[in-house]
Amino acid sequence: MSELLSNAGQKPPSLMPNAQQRARLRRVRNIRDGISRYGVAAAGMAVVGALGLIFFYLFSEVFPLLRSSSLEIDKRYTSSAVTSVDPGVHLTLDRYEEIGASFTRQGSVNFFRAEDGQVFMTKPMPMADQAELTATGTSTPADGLVIYGFSDGRIGVAKPEYALSYPNDKRLVTPGLGYPLGEEPVVLDEQGDALRHVAIQQGPNAIYVAAATEDKRLLLGVFSARASILGITRVSQDVYPLPSLPEGIGVTAMQLDRTGRHLAIADDQANLYLFDISRPDKVRPPEKVPSARGRITAMQFLVGTGSLAVGTDAGKVSQWFLVRDEDNRYHLKPVRDFKALPGKVTTIAPEYNRRGFWVGDDRGNVAAYYGTSSRSLLMKSVTDTAVRHLAISPINSRLLVMDEKQQILSADVWNKHPEISFSSLWQKVWYEGRSAPEYIWQASSGSDASEAKMSLVPLSIGTLKAALFAMLFAIPLGIMGAIYSAYFMTPKLRGYVKPTIEIMEALPTVILGFLAGLWLAPFIENHLPATFSILFLMPVMMLVIAFAWSRLPTALRAKVPDGWEAVILVLPIILTAWASVAASPHVEVLLFDGSMRQWFTDQGISYDQRNALVVGIAMGFAVIPTIFSIAEDALFNVPRHLTQGSLALGATRWQTMVGVVLPTASPGIFSAIMMGFGRAVGETMIVLMATGNSPIVNFNIFEGMRTLSANIAVELPETAVGSSHFRVLFLAALALLALTFIVNTLAEIVRQRLRRRYSSL
Amino acid sequence: MLETSELELTRSTLNQPAEFSQPVVADDTAATPSHTQANKPMLLTDEAIKLQVKDLNLYYGQKRALNNVSMVIPEKKVTAFIGPSGCGKSTLLRCFNRMNDLVDSCRIEGEILMDGKNIYDKDVDVPELRRQVGMVFQKPNPFPKSIYENVAYGLRLQGVKSKRVLDTVVENSLRGAALWDEVKDRLHDNAFGLSGGQQQRLVIARAIAIEPEVILLDEPASALDPISTLKIEELIYELKNRYTIVIVTHNMQQAARVSDYTAFMFMGDLVEHSATDELFTNPVKKQTEDYITGRYG
Repeated sequence: MSELLSNAGQKPPSLMPNAQQRARLRRVRNIRDGISRYGVAAAGMAVVGALGLIFFYLFSEVFPLLRSSSLEIDKRYTSSAVTSVDPGVHLTLDRYEEIGASFTRQGSVNFFRAEDGQVFMTKPMPMADQAELTATGTSTPADGLVIYGFSDGRIGVAKPEYALSYPNDKRLVTPGLGYPLGEEPVVLDEQGDALRHVAIQQGPNAIYVAAATEDKRLLLGVFSARASILGITRVSQDVYPLPSLPEGIGVTAMQLDRTGRHLAIADDQANLYLFDISRPDKVRPPEKVPSARGRITAMQFLVGTGSLAVGTDAGKVSQWFLVRDEDNRYHLKPVRDFKALPGKVTTIAPEYNRRGFWVGDDRGNVAAYYGTSSRSLLMKSVTDTAVRHLAISPINSRLLVMDEKQQILSADVWNKHPEISFSSLWQKVWYEGRSAPEYIWQASSGSDASEAKMSLVPLSIGTLKAALFAMLFAIPLGIMGAIYSAYFMTPKLRGYVKPTIEIMEALPTVILGFLAGLWLAPFIENHLPATFSILFLMPVMMLVIAFAWSRLPTALRAKVPDGWEAVILVLPIILTAWASVAASPHVEVLLFDGSMRQWFTDQGISYDQRNALVVGIAMGFAVIPTIFSIAEDALFNVPRHLTQGSLALGATRWQTMVGVVLPTASPGIFSAIMMGFGRAVGETMIVLMATGNSPIVNFNIFEGMRTLSANIAVELPETAVGSSHFRVLFLAALALLALTFIVNTLAEIVRQRLRRRYSSL
Repeated sequence: MLETSELELTRSTLNQPAEFSQPVVADDTAATPSHTQANKPMLLTDEAIKLQVKDLNLYYGQKRALNNVSMVIPEKKVTAFIGPSGCGKSTLLRCFNRMNDLVDSCRIEGEILMDGKNIYDKDVDVPELRRQVGMVFQKPNPFPKSIYENVAYGLRLQGVKSKRVLDTVVENSLRGAALWDEVKDRLHDNAFGLSGGQQQRLVIARAIAIEPEVILLDEPASALDPISTLKIEELIYELKNRYTIVIVTHNMQQAARVSDYTAFMFMGDLVEHSATDELFTNPVKKQTEDYITGRYG
């Protein structure tokens, strides 16, 4: 070989870089290679990591919802606030969980330090001289009223008040006692009979007091207290006799609601009575409802006085609603039962601002329940004697328990999200003031008196509804358009059409939403016949034009080059739309008495201006580019040799499209639809601006909806950080992310499969 | 250089051999000439004519791809088109079932008569033409369906729904394409599971299922291994009893093996067209001789 070369004469000089240069180049190349390899890998991992962190963050915000409630007794003491002689009638705890208050039989209120029980202040209740305390009662804890009823028919009312000051930059809570009806007892029973049971409630304009006397009469007092500028409290009072209970019945518990309309009484024979006292001078005999759960030993209205927590001697705990019937009359109905306590229920302490309540029994057990979510949160044996009083703090994190031995137990409570359960999120819940269980989302309101309704069902339905109508609009247009432009349209026209549609994807959705909400929605409302005639006439018109075109003489048809036929449609489309709009008012006058919207209402179809139709069109426009682009690519990438193979077998173009192109591209089209669906589910701005955001549960095209995403956008800025509402919104976000993640993953898997399918071709 | 050769070619086209231009005349005057004599030498004049090309010019945009091609394709014989890449033989083949219509910039002048009827007439139903003139492509192109559905596809296009008819035709076609024994147990498997040679025979089965009169084969074996090629060639030999076959091939041995008549094309011109034995052993044109002896191509 070398001989051959030397024989060939002079070897031409090599133009290759020398060995040293090549070695350097190799080194540089390797370094670049390494950097790019690890760089790309690191970037990829960072993306995955970021996604993981988002999931982790969302989950960490949601996690406390899943944590179960707990109670830890950290202090036990005996206090001079309660003695064996005078075990007290009522116990409360203040907002800072520093000061407890014990109301005694002797008529004093002892304020004691919650951490060791030391009494540091005592205030007197309005006490009647020479009269004995015969009954006590309390209002809902937020109002804090405590009533004493005396043997001479008089009552005394007081409520603890806490003044807050910051001397030397330290918080100082100074307790005091307020006297809404004055510092002296007030006469309730003119006959001076002893009051055996009393109930009190603070109404918006008055204080309502009910009492059962020794001689079985029932009395209702309405007190309007007004403090004059001189500081003198003037009390105007009206006392009404109520129809008595049947003979031989002893009252065990008595509760008034804050509207002054209802008086609930439990008797010693396991019955409940509901008096309608809205017109105190004309009260009819009460409705008797058997409790069916045993003799009622404790009964308290929960916050808002829409429902009663009822405990019986059998340990059964249940919640009862005041349910309104068709005749506008209220009835007491048991709505849910909770896990029973082992012993007889002795006391019920409702929470201040939500529908939870604490229950003690005579065997030393304490349990916590929550109404809305039907949860029995916890049950714990805390002492070996009966629980006498319970006091839960207004912020629900400390519980004072007083037992039969006058021992006070102070417990640390973790009970932040009792209102959330699977059933409260996903099942029908019977809310206060409703006549039946429903799905409702109404997470916040002006006051605690309204029950927070956090069912995710209306939002999920709304999300699906919005996506469904958007897809109904977008799928036919997107897919059909993709079929036409990928397979029938001339490449030149396609070169204009495809980028134009794809650029629609870059349109900010806030603009689409804005247009939909402020222009399209009123336009559709005012041109309803036009809307429908466009929807129905447009396809018909296209078919007619296409048919007429196919009947035209060939000479005329030949003037339009193949694949440009669609351009002919532009003018008829514009004309049809114009004609529909122009004819709309006349059609309304002729057929719908002047207003189609009114006609809908007359037919019993409710019509909102911002409805699913508007959203379907607007969000459809946002989704079309996604569907069109992916579907078009899938159709266009069907190998030419397949279509040619089909055509060569004598198939028409349409047969080829249906028989070969569509089946081959079907995974791509499926993936396009899924991507479009994922987009429609997660879309926020359009639904936020064009739906009206009413969380309703139906699929009526003329009504709006509220979607998960819009709900997050609306409510997250105004919810308290760390509240249940806040965390439920995060749960909604997590659900939404998971849903779009699943949809997109599914679409991607299908697409991968598609790619693998083609790799064999 | 290129221009001169083109000029030469044009000249050579004009001076066409007598034996080639004859059939055109014969067809114009008389009907099908008798071909009682099966003995050699084979002459185009003796054959029944299936397809006749008259002064065919084909343009891709401004570029002229076929120059005044005139020729006849005899019935139930195999005609091979040979020639160097880009000489227009595939283009000519695709004129027979109007597959060139799918190319936007393609324009055609002249006529192609099938059984005396111009297939480029306005009233010709192109899908029906393509049913009569089947085509098999260079690369096997089964549809992403089952073997059964691939063969049944053409029948379904014709509106055949009866399962019994479909079953029969599928079996007959697969037998006709010598594929039945290999696939009869997996008719409903995806066609992509077959080997390249099997796929090509499947495509042939698909083509013959709709009973065409002419089958166009566009380099049917160029993507296949020698054994599969052999099977395809055997198949072509079988098929010519029933169909008129036109085959484009790069492989001169293949042309020599399977065809009765061979046409040599060069740069859009039909240079020489005669009985295969004749063309390979005793070419009239210098260009033909240069090509078949491997001097270029």
